[in-house]
Amino acid sequence: MATERPGVGSPREVPILRVENLAISYETRYGEVTAVRDVSFEIGRGETLGIVGESGCGKSTVAFGIVNFLGRNGRIVSGRILFQGQDLVGRSERELRRLRGDRIAMVYQDPMQALNPSLRIGDQMAEVLIVHRRMKKDEAEERCIRMLERVYMPDPANVMRRYPHQLSGGQQQRVVIAMALLNDPALLIMDEPSTALDVTVEAAVLDLINDLQEEFDTAIMYISHNLGVIARVSDKVAVMYAGEVVERAAAEEIFLHPSHPYTLGLMRCVPRLGMEKASSYLHPIRGRVPPPNRLPPGCVFEPRCDFARPECAERRPPLKRLTDGHWVRCFFADEVASKGQEALAARWRKEATVHEPQREPTETILTVQDARVYYSVPARRLFSREKPVVKAVDGVSFHVPKQRTLGIVGESGCGKSTLVRAIIGLEKLSGGGMEFMGFDISVPVSKRDLDLIRNIQMVFQNPDATLNPSFTVGFQIARPLRRFRAVPKDRVKDEVIRLLNLMKLDASYYDRLPRQLSGGEKQRVAIARAIAARPELVLCDEPVSALDVSVQAAVLNLLLEVQRELGTTMLFIAHDLSVVRFFCDDIAVMYLGQIVEIGPAEAIYAPPYHPYTEALLSAVPIPDPTAEQRQIRLSGSVPSALNPPSGCRFHTRCPRREWLPDGGRICEVEPPPWQADTEEHRILCHIPLEQLRRMEAVVSEEVRDAG
Amino acid sequence: METEKKSRLRKFWESISIVLRSPTAAVGLAIVLFWVFVAIFAPLLAPHDPLAQDASAINQGPSPTYPLGTDNLGRDILSRLIYGSRVILILAPVSVLASVIVGTVLGLVGGYFGGIVDEIVMRILDAVMAFPTILLYLIIIAAIGPSPLNVVLAITFVGAPGIARLVRGLTLDIRTRDYIRAAEARGESALYIMFVEILPNARGPLIIDALLRVGYAIFAIGTLGFLGLGLPPPTPDWGGMISEARKYIWTNPLGVLWPALAIASLVVGLNLFADGLREETMRYQ
Amino acid sequence: MARYILRRLGFMLLTMFLVSIAVFLISEVAPGDVARHILGQFATPEQVELLRDQMGLDEPLYVRYFDWLIGNDWRLRRLVGMPLKQVLIPGRADAEWYAIAPDGTMLQWKMKQEGLVEIRVTPDGERTEVLFDGWLVDENGEEYFWGVDTAGHVVLWKKGEAGREVGPASAGRAMIEASGVEYYPIRRGLLRGDPGISFRTNRPVGPTLARRLRNSLSLAGIAFVVIMPIALVLGVLAGLREGSPLDRTISLFSLITTSVPEFASGVFLILVFAFWLKVLPGAAVFPDDTAPLQNPKLLILPVLTLTLVEVGYVARMTRASMAEVMNAPYIRTAFLKGLPYWRIVFKHALRNALIAPITVIMLHVNWLVGGIVVVESVFGYPGLGMYLLDSALFKDINAIEAGAMVMVALAVGSQLVADIIYTFLNPRIRYT
Repeated sequence: MATERPGVGSPREVPILRVENLAISYETRYGEVTAVRDVSFEIGRGETLGIVGESGCGKSTVAFGIVNFLGRNGRIVSGRILFQGQDLVGRSERELRRLRGDRIAMVYQDPMQALNPSLRIGDQMAEVLIVHRRMKKDEAEERCIRMLERVYMPDPANVMRRYPHQLSGGQQQRVVIAMALLNDPALLIMDEPSTALDVTVEAAVLDLINDLQEEFDTAIMYISHNLGVIARVSDKVAVMYAGEVVERAAAEEIFLHPSHPYTLGLMRCVPRLGMEKASSYLHPIRGRVPPPNRLPPGCVFEPRCDFARPECAERRPPLKRLTDGHWVRCFFADEVASKGQEALAARWRKEATVHEPQREPTETILTVQDARVYYSVPARRLFSREKPVVKAVDGVSFHVPKQRTLGIVGESGCGKSTLVRAIIGLEKLSGGGMEFMGFDISVPVSKRDLDLIRNIQMVFQNPDATLNPSFTVGFQIARPLRRFRAVPKDRVKDEVIRLLNLMKLDASYYDRLPRQLSGGEKQRVAIARAIAARPELVLCDEPVSALDVSVQAAVLNLLLEVQRELGTTMLFIAHDLSVVRFFCDDIAVMYLGQIVEIGPAEAIYAPPYHPYTEALLSAVPIPDPTAEQRQIRLSGSVPSALNPPSGCRFHTRCPRREWLPDGGRICEVEPPPWQADTEEHRILCHIPLEQLRRMEAVVSEEVRDAG
Repeated sequence: METEKKSRLRKFWESISIVLRSPTAAVGLAIVLFWVFVAIFAPLLAPHDPLAQDASAINQGPSPTYPLGTDNLGRDILSRLIYGSRVILILAPVSVLASVIVGTVLGLVGGYFGGIVDEIVMRILDAVMAFPTILLYLIIIAAIGPSPLNVVLAITFVGAPGIARLVRGLTLDIRTRDYIRAAEARGESALYIMFVEILPNARGPLIIDALLRVGYAIFAIGTLGFLGLGLPPPTPDWGGMISEARKYIWTNPLGVLWPALAIASLVVGLNLFADGLREETMRYQ
Repeated sequence: MARYILRRLGFMLLTMFLVSIAVFLISEVAPGDVARHILGQFATPEQVELLRDQMGLDEPLYVRYFDWLIGNDWRLRRLVGMPLKQVLIPGRADAEWYAIAPDGTMLQWKMKQEGLVEIRVTPDGERTEVLFDGWLVDENGEEYFWGVDTAGHVVLWKKGEAGREVGPASAGRAMIEASGVEYYPIRRGLLRGDPGISFRTNRPVGPTLARRLRNSLSLAGIAFVVIMPIALVLGVLAGLREGSPLDRTISLFSLITTSVPEFASGVFLILVFAFWLKVLPGAAVFPDDTAPLQNPKLLILPVLTLTLVEVGYVARMTRASMAEVMNAPYIRTAFLKGLPYWRIVFKHALRNALIAPITVIMLHVNWLVGGIVVVESVFGYPGLGMYLLDSALFKDINAIEAGAMVMVALAVGSQLVADIIYTFLNPRIRYT
């Protein structure tokens, strides 16, 4: 590799990867199905191409197609894959094997699955060098340790001797990335590498990818469904829909001037950090991604498109060049581009009041006072007398006024789900009390009065698990109606159909089984089931996080509608801070079983912040490459709830500790006090409020207006 | 109601056509249906009384009167085989059904309640399962004596723990699903959750396991018969027929071959069917 | 890891305890009187009553259980007033109980025409018989004596009640002697290596059981050594090429061979190899039941029968596990790392793929045992299985109980071995 390298972007340089008209098909029991067609793009040295789209759009198929790893039933039908100028299509397995892991490396979702559970990290890493470079074992290991250092892995020599399950998710992903970089590959393919990680860990991994790109000058193909993540890492973006690249342009261009209806739709259906329901509206994309064996005859997006005209259904639009490097597969790209500007601006129009804010003080419906949920876990050591206790929720207090929505945010393991399960009575309280509409609800659901049970219902996260697969939709929505005798027996079916209609589903859904429904439809049925008996309080545990973005918006809008019509009070758990900000009136931020900051939504998202809130906000990926966001990164991972840190639980990771005298000695010793910023906004921190108030906003408030 | 019936029927045919897509399952089903047919129409198919002894034809090879030959008492082997299928095709499903019922209840209770209840149920089942199955049969039958009812009891006793484990495993998995949480949040009773919310979702693996177990049960009934612990003579019992004929294997080798073939074909057929069914349902999902 | 294994060991002991109760209850509480069974249907009620007393069947159930499990010689020695000792008779699979006098002389008593006779055996083997005169007197003035008889009972004799013989009895037991008033059979207990006397042969169960166990273990061991490599290789090959013609052939073959009961496949093999081809013996008839390995030809068909049934089962387990592992994301990672195929198979896949089948294989020892009972019966092989079968048919309680406990111990022990192998293959348990 001693040859002279021309500079990045030099026009005559051969791109690292150039894909031309790639088509990939799979042999299925319905015959041969084309999963990807007519895909073209190129990636130059040191460039990152982001590929974005919903699940089932063929993003991963393209990635595996490049290394021709399509399994027994997949094959490349046509097209060329030029890697450093040489076509990979039709190469022998042996030649491809030499490239894989050496010149082309791949990182994909869920690092725990990607690492072999029964081999030590060191062995798994070193073998890449041993196989491709014929290196001696100790030499290879030394090189691995150096590489682990470069991905900021603490104590790399020790990590080499460990097994995957002994590392945290973020550490595992660092190992996988280090392993991919060992041979200094020319092309790095990353398939949703940060999706399974918590938001603060994700931010750190994304930073790492940016650093490495500068350092290694590798071409990166980065696949994600998350526009924010794509905006953060990409130089160029390709938007995929139903197996086709529908739009392709430089990152800024595509985010500023989206010209395909699908791209525009993706941007309009996710809330941006700072958007709130009072002033903005989410625009869902109707319908769903068609399965590859039932594509529409014309434009693949036509059935879901707001701009569609008759000709769209007849003919497939060609890939059209809009400006230099901006290609769109749409007949009316110019129209979309100009209308899109208005549409994007419209979502920010503050005067367009969509929802009446509930600001006048109302009666409190739910009060939680010093709630604790502890679990005892089996002792680790054989002869230890104490049973270790996990303090999943430890001294949480708040109250929710009627008809308002309280959002609870925090990373996985912070106790937010446990808290909600305790409120509904599925979890036993170990201490403290809860009151709902004046009744004591600190007892489990089996000891509650039927009317009380009726009044608290829940919407769950996973659409595939929320409905019983053995029963029809109608039966499942009718069950709470019958059980709580909400309507007379002979009117149950009518009521179910009314509820279905309320959820924008027609009566034909009554007899369907859950497996005949899409994720979004299942979630709507689940909402219908939850509100069937007209509960006063609905608990939503990440109701949209497992859904594709285009569907998320529809479900969120439905929840808002329900709340407006029925006046339901809601508790809304999510890890996506943009969604929470959009949806909730008040927000509580949880860390390791405690609330660290609570207050009205707008107060949470502006200084003063709790240092943890500040870090969370700075980690949120914003779908705008021009957005300014301060970088505050947390070190380490969330400590175990088995043995939470003394004093302030956040002190082990707090980046603001040094503001206090003596390097924040007090944080290690004394539990922090509640400080009231306003009557409603409180922060659990040792740092004086005045100092917290002097913090800068994490995201610049200035909202970029289109045009 | 009418539409529901119709859709049930359609679903049934759908599942049949799915099964028949696998050639092994189709062959298996054909073998099993053959024996079911034989069992149902035994009186019409059998040329002789299975118990009638012909002193003039003892341990004979195939002949026009006795197509498969005769046994040591001069009884027609074909007729005994045909009637023997009845015995086995009644006892095996009945005993499996009994163990499915017992095992399902134990598994649901253990899996859903967990904790100490589960611990006790599982320790007892572990103890039963620690026995080599044949040993359990030996001890039980030796203790309570050979009779059709006792054979059923023994097979139920031996089979139930396995089913309980399966159902418990499925229950532990299904229990964590959100729809169970939703039911609990509605304050449903434990009985409702176990039998209405959980059990229907465990039926797929349960049905396949039960089918395989019918195969094992036939296997076991044959083995018991062979060891002399099965049905008391002169009941035509395939295992017993082999055991008897084996003594005369040097004079009448075919006499031992026929019942061996019969039982082997039936068990193989059932297993082919169950296995094909499992493969197809797995692929279907 | 130690914690995990200790936990498993604890479960194993608990299981064995529960099993011992179950075995005991099932075989002892069974309907039908064992004494009546032994004596035959023409025995008088007195004879039955006497035999029940001599066999200890009139004791409460829990006493019998603990006598069976841990013995009663330590309890009975208080009646006799001297330590009791079991002595093996050289050259015979038999043992006798003696009371040991303070000077080391071994004592037994026997009722003869002339009265109670004391048999003395000095430490150097000298045997003398003298008329007994050491009677004790109870509060009613009756003279009595607790001693040890020649058939391993502690007996209460009363002076004046001369020996009488209560008629003839059936199999094994030539005559029932009834010189004493009360009988307690002396046992050292199963846990201390003495499973008692066989009702069928009237000899201690232990030595026979050991010999039969050795025969069975040789058969099972050979079968195991034959089965495992074949099955694992077939399973791995099929799993690697999931869905290929090779896989379909192996899968179908294993399904069929596994489904055919051992007695049927054994019969097929005998017909083919012994009857039609006449190349192998069709039955494993040994001159005595000592040495199966002296004539390996006799073992071929039994081993082959076991192999046919077991290979398929293990191969199917291995195939399923291998196919699953080959579809795992970390194997995809290994491919994408550009590793050679066989390196992926051996280094990445095999170890993970064997975790599941190894445990199942060890659990399958249960099934193998079942196969052995049938195969031994098909070929007339003198192993543990045949012994158990014969004992079960005869209701020879002590033999059934002992044989069953041995088999269960084998099965449970193999589970423990499986657990230990599992922890070694699976670092997730080793390092928690």
